[in-house]
Amino acid sequence: MISNTGLGNPIDFKAFMKIWLKVICVALLAYVAVSTFWYPLIPAGLQVNINKINPGENQFTLTGYNTHFVSEKENLQVFVAIDSTARYCGSILNVIDNNHVLVSVNLPDTLSSANIAFVANDNTDGYIIVEQPIKSEGFVLIPGYKEKSCKISVIQTDHKGFGYPYQPIIMETIRNLMWHVPMWFTMFVLMTISFIQSIKSLNSGGRADDNLDKFLDQKKLLISDTKAAMSASTGLVFCLLGLITGSVWARFAWGAWWTNDPQLNGAMVVFIVYVAYFILRNSTPDLEKRARLSSIFNIFAFVLMVVLLMVMPRFTEGLHPGKSGNPAFSQYDLDSSLRVVFYPAVLGFILLGYWLYRINLSIRNIEISNDENEY
Amino acid sequence: MSAVTALIKKEILLEFRQKHALAGVLVYVLATVFVCYLSFQKIEETQIWGALLWITGVFTAFNAMQKTFYSEKPGTQFYMYTLANPAHVILSKLIYNALTVAMLNVISLFFFILFFGTKVLDQADVLQMLTGILLGSTGLGFSLTFAGSLAFKSGSGTGLVAILGFPLIIPLLITMVRHTSSSLTGVSWELNGLNLVVLFVLNLLPLVLGYILFPYIWRE
Repeated sequence: MISNTGLGNPIDFKAFMKIWLKVICVALLAYVAVSTFWYPLIPAGLQVNINKINPGENQFTLTGYNTHFVSEKENLQVFVAIDSTARYCGSILNVIDNNHVLVSVNLPDTLSSANIAFVANDNTDGYIIVEQPIKSEGFVLIPGYKEKSCKISVIQTDHKGFGYPYQPIIMETIRNLMWHVPMWFTMFVLMTISFIQSIKSLNSGGRADDNLDKFLDQKKLLISDTKAAMSASTGLVFCLLGLITGSVWARFAWGAWWTNDPQLNGAMVVFIVYVAYFILRNSTPDLEKRARLSSIFNIFAFVLMVVLLMVMPRFTEGLHPGKSGNPAFSQYDLDSSLRVVFYPAVLGFILLGYWLYRINLSIRNIEISNDENEY
Repeated sequence: MSAVTALIKKEILLEFRQKHALAGVLVYVLATVFVCYLSFQKIEETQIWGALLWITGVFTAFNAMQKTFYSEKPGTQFYMYTLANPAHVILSKLIYNALTVAMLNVISLFFFILFFGTKVLDQADVLQMLTGILLGSTGLGFSLTFAGSLAFKSGSGTGLVAILGFPLIIPLLITMVRHTSSSLTGVSWELNGLNLVVLFVLNLLPLVLGYILFPYIWRE
């Protein structure tokens, strides 16, 4: 059957969806592929090259990330902030390049707190804050001591332009969020389709305690089962992709290709369970029995997947964000700059997964009908 | 319920008529623990002790489970099919196998203490450890009965039990090892309770799903 574009026929919803879902999918994925790599991270402070401060003159180089110190030479101000209440302005000795500036700050003998941060500010980058452990030597610390803050002409608090949030350690690999996480969403959707088709298949297969005269809809049983298998095989591909992208990310963020994280181990178990599902299918020659047994195993596998990937990680300690342990993303989960790319990525990959599943199913159906014609 | 007890009685009767099968499993347990002893001599780390106990337990359970469906002749299967309700059949098998595995694991625990001594148990919370071992064993029994029924029906030999069963019991195995090792260090019930809850959930999963889904497997 030749598919119709659906454009001329408003009633033919199916044909319309057939084309437009693919167009939307390709458009979304193209947008995601470009914007994942196009936008920079927002400017941030990396470090200063001293590990202690003392009364009198302190000279240090402040290192920024993605900052614009050279072009903002005139507006650039650097100061030392004490407990975010008082500040001591530094004089800029030399702007070395866009990311490095040499500063000298004069500090008094008395401070109200040893809680110190180094801050730079300019019109393009906004506040650049470096918070690293600094020893303060030779100061008299008087809590509540009123300090004289220097005046700064702050205008810009936020950076200009679109960018992804800066996270220590994760840094540029935050872009992987757009690829790694949608893989799991897609796998979940495909496995859910597979689960529903398996239930359908069993429903038309009947139980042992049914009346044996009950009509057994073998055709329906086999059709649903084929759908379940093809959906699961597509889902398995996304599971593998999720494991690979996750492993690469783990190498950068956590230092190892594989770490003992409940979500990682759960994902591996899910992968093995679904591989076992296909082994079960291929070792059962009888078609009806194959449909029946693999549907049952598939239902079990789905429930196990939900328990392993959705329930267990919430109760056990792990490295993934949003759980106990290291909530690295929790404050940025809802960051608007990530959201505008992340949501399209999820939708695009789910559509791609569904599309691949339909292609797989068509190929399988052609194979089946070829087999039938041979005999 | 009387049907279930009758079926369990049948299983026990069968077991005692084929004493060699049970004896085989017991020898297997003894041999495995002895090999562990020969290769380790003495174990001081609780983690290794727990892991070895459960690796022995898992393979013993696999061994015991291979005969649960395969020991019955095809004729018997068909006879049962006409006679009994499938829900009763699976319930009896689940309960019987869970009890068998629990018993075998307690025996293997006995052998471990016999060979490795009680030094590891010095600080252990024994009641807590036994609860974990019993819950873990029943979980193993339930999961492997489920996998065994599928493998048997597919008609492709006993190898499939391992392929289907192993992924199902990995989460169980991780939790069991964690629970046993930490109960050996004498952790309080509150701290170790989460592992018990997870074990309980992983028990419930094959039990409920097996009960619901077995009638679909059983249909000829």
